[in-house]
Amino acid sequence: MNGLELIKQAFALQPVGRIPWVPFVGVHGGYLISTDAETYLKSAEKITAGISKAIELYRPDGIPVVFDLQVEAEVLGCDIRWSEAGPPAVVSHPLAEGKSLKDLTIPGPDDGRLAVCLQAARSLREKYPDIALYGLITGPFTLALHLLGTDIFIKMFEAPKEIHAIMDFCSRTAQKIADYYMQAGCDVVALVDPMTSQIDRQTFDTFVKPYVTPVFEQVRQNNKLSSFFVCGHAQQNIEAMCDCKPDNISIDENIPLDFVKEIALEKGISFGGNMKLTVVLLMGSEEDCREHALECLDLGGNTGFILAPGCDLPRETPSKNLITVANLLNDPYQQEIVRTLEKKESTLEIFNMKDYGQADKVIVDIVTLDSESCAPCQYMVEAVKRVAPYFEGVVEWREHAIKKMEEVSFMSSLMVKNIPTICIDGKIAFVSKIPPEKVLVAAIQQRINEKLKLKIKSKKSEIILLGKDDEKFQELKERVNRAQTELGKDLEVKIITDQKNLASYGVVQLPAVVSVHYKIKSEGLVPSTEVIKEWLKEL
Amino acid sequence: MSELLAKIAECIEFGKINKAAPFPPQMKGQEGADELTRQAIDEGIPAQQILTEGLMIGMEKVGIKFRENKVFVPQVLMSAKAMSTAMMHLKPFFLSGEVKEKGTLIIGTVEGDLHDIGKNLVSMMVEGNGWKVVDLGTDVKADQFVAALKEHQNAIVGLSALLTTTMVNMGKITKAIKEAVPEAKVAIGGAPVTDDFRKKIGADAYSPDPQGLVEYLNTQVA
Repeated sequence: MNGLELIKQAFALQPVGRIPWVPFVGVHGGYLISTDAETYLKSAEKITAGISKAIELYRPDGIPVVFDLQVEAEVLGCDIRWSEAGPPAVVSHPLAEGKSLKDLTIPGPDDGRLAVCLQAARSLREKYPDIALYGLITGPFTLALHLLGTDIFIKMFEAPKEIHAIMDFCSRTAQKIADYYMQAGCDVVALVDPMTSQIDRQTFDTFVKPYVTPVFEQVRQNNKLSSFFVCGHAQQNIEAMCDCKPDNISIDENIPLDFVKEIALEKGISFGGNMKLTVVLLMGSEEDCREHALECLDLGGNTGFILAPGCDLPRETPSKNLITVANLLNDPYQQEIVRTLEKKESTLEIFNMKDYGQADKVIVDIVTLDSESCAPCQYMVEAVKRVAPYFEGVVEWREHAIKKMEEVSFMSSLMVKNIPTICIDGKIAFVSKIPPEKVLVAAIQQRINEKLKLKIKSKKSEIILLGKDDEKFQELKERVNRAQTELGKDLEVKIITDQKNLASYGVVQLPAVVSVHYKIKSEGLVPSTEVIKEWLKEL
Repeated sequence: MSELLAKIAECIEFGKINKAAPFPPQMKGQEGADELTRQAIDEGIPAQQILTEGLMIGMEKVGIKFRENKVFVPQVLMSAKAMSTAMMHLKPFFLSGEVKEKGTLIIGTVEGDLHDIGKNLVSMMVEGNGWKVVDLGTDVKADQFVAALKEHQNAIVGLSALLTTTMVNMGKITKAIKEAVPEAKVAIGGAPVTDDFRKKIGADAYSPDPQGLVEYLNTQVA
């Protein structure tokens, strides 16, 4: 099934085999093709190239053409200021600076950067017929705020008629822009109105609802899909947003996903969100992204849910983080691994593995999900099984299936992050990729050689001479010294003449020679019982 | 007397500016913060008392309601407008030194970010709690914060950002401030900001709402 169909299915609240995903690539598209935000947002070619790159990397089911809520405002006369790393900001508000509504006309498709956005939409449509294309329009309240500035908040109380007139204009503008995007081939019209997060339910019902509802209605009449995005803390308005009758609502990390799910499904509309933009996607590690994405997937469920970031992606979001999300989404094995690990991590006990792998035998550990149900795990275990006979008696191998708690602890203790992984004597050797037989044999052989070297180095012996201070004992000492010299050995020679100590060596007749072999097994730490047992086996 | 101060507090809480103001509907035709504050001064109530037992009480209630999502930006702006109307009457007492500020907050929206709604709300709340606020505006660079901090010794710095793309500048600015004035305290806030983020950049305080910053500031009063 292609992405567009999958999105349609989710919008229709039909259960899906795989949850669809829509990364909100805005100026991040520019980042992908090394272009600053301003150059990017002013060029249909650049936008097309950036989004194409995003599609190639992130394998989305749907994607916005442009994420810039200043396009309409700029056409309507707001001054904007560009920055390198983000979408532009509105810096002047015509309706607060002498202009009146009569001076404004609804933008046409060729006006300002609208032409650029629509051209990009057409090119992407042609290039990607199977992906849901989102046309983003500035919500009426956010547009009104651009036009009037923050006076809008106080004027809602002091001059409500004026605000209603402005909202009406912004609503008609939104309907027109929706039309342009649909004609350019977009499948979904997303009305983005973040400023509505700043007002209460009653104000929303009075000043927003009557002006966004017709936009969604119009999209429906054109047999296209609509979505209502609100970035920001809009929890108080979720129900009111649903009552405006969009086909989908999309929210950000400020609002708990399960809360939105409950309301949206009750109202019979689909919902999306709400991956954390900064602490996870922008600043987090790949593991953070995997865990967090899975958390969203499990909360959202397979009916009516679309995985998406909470709002537009920061420009410099590392691609590897988003690729990680895409990989997870397409790989049920990986999801199960992350799920298993996540559940168990809280009660995890970390073993001290500093001295692991010091036994005579070389230990090969294979960390798997479960070699019976996970194909890559199975192949990895088989690879080890195949080479083990070459090292009969020298190598011992074990599988650690992380479905068991103690194996998860073992995995974490070895600092293994990926499944499957082969460790040789406690060191990570092969991650995810199954090594060819020769490579695996060489790796094990190398470890055996290392150990041999170590063994020779670390062996120390001592000779203890027991006796009375008599002639016989003198003779013995001389002979031992001579033997040492002839052999070129450097042994520790300990002389014991104290009668009381003799008995402790079990010696009855004097003089006597006792030899002792030492081997340093560990230094400066208390080895775990598991490890000590390995050593004891050698004796 | 205390009844009058309670009325003033109520006007601030509900954003009743003056008698002519239509908002809020339930207080239509009643006297507002403007008239009542004048009246309190005329009755000889000390300005400090009007501030702490009237205006500040009202502002604190708004702050708490805002935190609890019971009121939103429009209502808070109305309260702030009522507050600043009342403050016009108290200004001479600040200038004469009869009313003292608790301390100084230097505030600004960080470099690259032009959004000021959040920062202005915070300024109003902090001012309404008896602090002096030095507002550096929007798109404020690290050296501007440092310069202001050198001018206003012992001030606390507040950084605001709305965008995920600009919040990263908070880290840079916090670092620059701490390098220039190691004992300086930096508080951060804004829609995308979290306490995790605060820890990452080494700032001293984060609050998801203005009232939280007011509370933090009050713990810093010597």
